[in-house]
Amino acid sequence: MLAQLILNGFVTGLLLALPALALTLTFGILKFPNFAIGSMLTLGSYAAWIGNSLLGMPLAVAAIFAALAMAAVAMLSDVLVFSRLRDRGSITLLVASMGISLILENICRFGFGNSTRNFVFDVARPTRWHGLRINQEQLITAVVVIVCVILIQLLLYASPLGRAMRAVADNPSLAAVRGVERQTIARITWCLAGCLTALSGVLAGLDRAVDPLLGWNYQIPIFAAAILGGLGSPTGAIVGAIVIGLAEELSSLILPTNYRQVVSFAVILGLLLVRTQGLFGGKAVRK
Amino acid sequence: MTAYLTTLVVLVAVSALVGLALNLQWGVAGLVNFGVVGFVALGAYATALLAPALGWCGAMIVAAVLCAIVSTVLAFLSIRLEENYLAIVTIGFGEVVRILLLNETWLTGGAVGIADIPRPFVSLVSPARYDVVLLCFSLALVAIVFALLEILVRSPFGRALRAVRDDATVAAALGKPVLLLRIKAFAIGGAVMGVAGALHAFYLTYIDPSQFTSIITAYAFMAVIAGGRGSNIGLLFGAGSIMALLEATRFLKDAVEMTDGTQLAALRLGLIGVGIVLLLILRPQGLLPEPQRRVRDFFPDDGGSA
Repeated sequence: MLAQLILNGFVTGLLLALPALALTLTFGILKFPNFAIGSMLTLGSYAAWIGNSLLGMPLAVAAIFAALAMAAVAMLSDVLVFSRLRDRGSITLLVASMGISLILENICRFGFGNSTRNFVFDVARPTRWHGLRINQEQLITAVVVIVCVILIQLLLYASPLGRAMRAVADNPSLAAVRGVERQTIARITWCLAGCLTALSGVLAGLDRAVDPLLGWNYQIPIFAAAILGGLGSPTGAIVGAIVIGLAEELSSLILPTNYRQVVSFAVILGLLLVRTQGLFGGKAVRK
Repeated sequence: MTAYLTTLVVLVAVSALVGLALNLQWGVAGLVNFGVVGFVALGAYATALLAPALGWCGAMIVAAVLCAIVSTVLAFLSIRLEENYLAIVTIGFGEVVRILLLNETWLTGGAVGIADIPRPFVSLVSPARYDVVLLCFSLALVAIVFALLEILVRSPFGRALRAVRDDATVAAALGKPVLLLRIKAFAIGGAVMGVAGALHAFYLTYIDPSQFTSIITAYAFMAVIAGGRGSNIGLLFGAGSIMALLEATRFLKDAVEMTDGTQLAALRLGLIGVGIVLLLILRPQGLLPEPQRRVRDFFPDDGGSA
């Protein structure tokens, strides 16, 4: 029983890892928390559903289609909105991201209504292993997320692009002096964030079902994961996501399942009290 | 017709109260509150639960005080951090309130909600004329809150808040208690949101969790941005014009082929999002900007040395 909960929690955490990573990457480069992260996830899952269910693509192809579509949406929102507000400070940017969130979520609702949708996908029977029940969705989630995380880590720590991204995150002016343009790096980061949230949207849609509030339900856990890891720290976001996933699943031992979301909120409040910089982050206290 | 007018005025009054509160928190003090709906819901439920025992006035005051206390706690936890943290904490607070309202059935009635909330001044007139009383009551409430907030904003306290918003470091260097100022502003704003919730409860006489969605938060932000951050007059103008526009979308329903109410609701919310983004880009100071008072306005004979 306990082992099953830990397994489920680990997979839930992996699912959170991709959007938490996206959130923390954009925060690192642009210094504002993107409140549209949840609705980007929703739109990603709808894009995959369109590809899969309406256009008849296999789910894997639809996921790639969704990732590309969301990369374009994220890029577009930067070109149209965020890059124009870059100099106005983080409060303006985060309110603007809330506006974007309203737009994206309601595009989904306007187009497809409030009803839930499912992917066309043959669900295999769960595998049993030493008394543990492992769903096929869980296996897919684990494989996809682990591959993505490895790729992102390689990109960040073993490629010139990753070095440039870390340089801009660390000190934009110094990076600019060395010929690293913040604008270009910001656009690439947005594309990356779009891909990651779209993939997590597909995984979330596979785990639950596609509906307009899919991403909103993950919003607080995603933020809790990123804050727990220390906003701006990619490795931290992954660790934070797994801790939040475990905490949510294990909370069902003592709390009714309706209160799962409260766990993430409690984690955030607890962190604000004792360790505001998270596990791996820098200082967060105001100047 | 009176009924429709009352509905419209009460709706505008509720959103104006919420907007005035957010304008103090975000517009004047620079504190982002994405959990507006949570405070309104808290105020409404506190009023609904206490009105039978304490009477409408007592219940409304307790609701305001309760919201102020909760705001103080949330602010105390997160305001010393960067603004990002307050935003996420308040968003989480809004969700937690929603979950509590749905699940703590023994207190809140769960999804069914609470009915038969006593209204103010019921004994004064016959039920048929009650609309007029409610209309005047909401107008009076908005007028009182507006006057109080306007006095507050023009007072030294308001000046200090704007200083903190514009540059906390300078304000701190001048000896202003930055943390305390922020917490006070957030608490007062929370109390006003509680009053708005009370008016909401009085108007509908029954409340349930489905009435308190993120739409309330979105409207409030739109009203503050449209009116001009920090300007109370602008806020009233913003809240009024947004309500007028949203009411106009009702008639859009007849003009354009719409399959259901879901699409209309989605369209409204989506347009609010577009409005927020466009105004932030094109007219960040709002339609009626906060007056920029200069030294000369206070000391006309200073010879313009400022």
